[in-house]
Amino acid sequence: MLNDILLALQAVATIENFLIMAAGIWGGVVIGAIPGMTGTMAVTLALPFTFYMQPVPSILLLVALYKGSTYGGSVSAILIKTPGTASAACTALDGYPLARQGKAGKALNMALYSSVIGDFFSNISLIFLAAPLAILALRVGPPEYFMLMVFALTTVAGVSGNSLLLGLVSACLGLLLATVGEDMYGSFRFAMTNEMQAGLAVAPVLIGLFALPELIKLIVFRNPPKTEPMKLGDNRVSGREIRASLKSILRGSTIGVVLGAIPGIGPASAAFFSYGEAQRTSKTPANFGKGELEGIAASESANNGACGATMIPLLALGVPGDVITGVMLGAFMIQGLTPGPLLFQTNMHEIYMLFIGMMVSSVLLFGAGKITMRAFSYVAEIPPTLLTSVVLLLCLFGIYSISNSMFDVTVLLALGVLGFAMFLLDIPAAPFLIAFILGPMIEENMRRALAISRGDASVFLSSPITWIFAALILFVIGITFRREVAKARQRKADRA
Amino acid sequence: MWSGILRGVLISVLFGFVLFVLIPVHVPRPAFIPGFAPPPDMWPRTVSIAGIVLGLIVAVLAWAGPVARPAPNPEKQPAEPVGLPVLIGRFALVVLAFGLFIMLVPRIGFVLAAILLTAAAILLTGERQRLVWGTIVAVALPIVLALFFNSALGTQFPKGPFSALLGF
Repeated sequence: MLNDILLALQAVATIENFLIMAAGIWGGVVIGAIPGMTGTMAVTLALPFTFYMQPVPSILLLVALYKGSTYGGSVSAILIKTPGTASAACTALDGYPLARQGKAGKALNMALYSSVIGDFFSNISLIFLAAPLAILALRVGPPEYFMLMVFALTTVAGVSGNSLLLGLVSACLGLLLATVGEDMYGSFRFAMTNEMQAGLAVAPVLIGLFALPELIKLIVFRNPPKTEPMKLGDNRVSGREIRASLKSILRGSTIGVVLGAIPGIGPASAAFFSYGEAQRTSKTPANFGKGELEGIAASESANNGACGATMIPLLALGVPGDVITGVMLGAFMIQGLTPGPLLFQTNMHEIYMLFIGMMVSSVLLFGAGKITMRAFSYVAEIPPTLLTSVVLLLCLFGIYSISNSMFDVTVLLALGVLGFAMFLLDIPAAPFLIAFILGPMIEENMRRALAISRGDASVFLSSPITWIFAALILFVIGITFRREVAKARQRKADRA
Repeated sequence: MWSGILRGVLISVLFGFVLFVLIPVHVPRPAFIPGFAPPPDMWPRTVSIAGIVLGLIVAVLAWAGPVARPAPNPEKQPAEPVGLPVLIGRFALVVLAFGLFIMLVPRIGFVLAAILLTAAAILLTGERQRLVWGTIVAVALPIVLALFFNSALGTQFPKGPFSALLGF
């Protein structure tokens, strides 16, 4: 085995491979940082170039783009509260308040460190856990999937606002919007126009909900956020701050790996789930959402942790976990490689090369992040009246270019107005987004489980795994309710 | 208290509208459903009912008042003392600008409509001091972005009578 690894190392360690990975990481960071441009777009655009490349460098280019864009999404989330990717929406909760306090550099540094650690952890897990985790993921049936997702949704609803009730209302809105379009049996729902038959895309919903309300707030209240200029001396993350967040980083990385290994869950859910856990176990949960470094660490370690882990079902079972790994599956097949158990027997040399390349890309991610950070961080100094208009333009052009569709642009603007209305009613946006992403899977698994059980709802409590998730749901509701009562008592006491 | 009750009622009315108006019209039930597969309207109905119940709980809790009101959000405070009609008027202008943009794109092209929307957005934010920068953002940036997306990704933006003047 050691001989195989050394041979693979020798094959990967060429200037050509190094440049391909560096270009992929760099391009991914830049694309991920532009609102409206997604990692999926980056990987899809690069796919035609891979036709002319060797199998392993071509896959490494796509993996590097994926990793780079996942980190890049956090840059715009922190600086302008416009997440470049769905998984970075959670990072905006604490990153943006830190940027407004003049600590944009600190937030970006923490995002980078946790991303790299999460990514590294994920690569190690991929190497050692690919086969066992993939087998475990296969044993999770529709009832278990449903309970897992309801649990993830409850956690998100409980942590991302002042009220569990309003968080659940937000989740219901997201679940409802996710039903637009064709359902699993081919029925069209709420398809009032031809475009609506295909459902709503994630990118316009995500960006409309998070980015545009900032512009509308500025126009209606004309009360620009008081953004402090970035303080050069306050950019470093101290050893103490890293140590304080280390538990959340390691937990986030683990959550990322486990959820990333389950097809369909993806980095966004992992980030919100990890954030919820970090807030629940923190000594200062009230600081979350106001500029808590630990919040950024939890979110970023989980979303990058999930990146490598989404390759686990792809490599071990040939099952793509999300759209990006779906594109990668295509790239594998174009190169004559068929992911699945046989790949580990027939193409072990290529597998080792891929693993080593992914480790190298973690180091490159750190370098690319450090170099681009300074250039990006000055964005925080642009006056809000101009910056929000620039964001509006980037959103309009970026969203239109995804599918050349004015319908997507209409959805973007409509969601901006809805996001502002939700802000007025104190309804948090994060549960809406995560419910919108998970909604189709929740419904599909629920309907499938009910069809299997012939309509018997007790199927959702039919196995030890479902019992564990049910207990966890009750636990999260109990904890959140207790926290809300304590907060209310504190406010009453403060007034008295 | 009243804002909390109003919020709860609004939430319930919204989900009620979906349950009683939209679902019967826009979620058709197939005449034949094989086996025990739940019908397509089951999930939207479940979510809508949950939304109505949650809205009512929000209203009842605000009325009963067991939970103290949170401190006012500084982000919702206008910079200068203005009345509610002014705030509603500004919001209506935003919605109007968005609507006009959608309507204008097929008539005058994407880039020109984007220029007009951005200029309107900058003026609506109250920006009057950095007009040169505002003009650069509103006019030059859309053209640069259109050129970038057109050359890098091959995006074909909707064209209008002035698109040729802008190089498209």
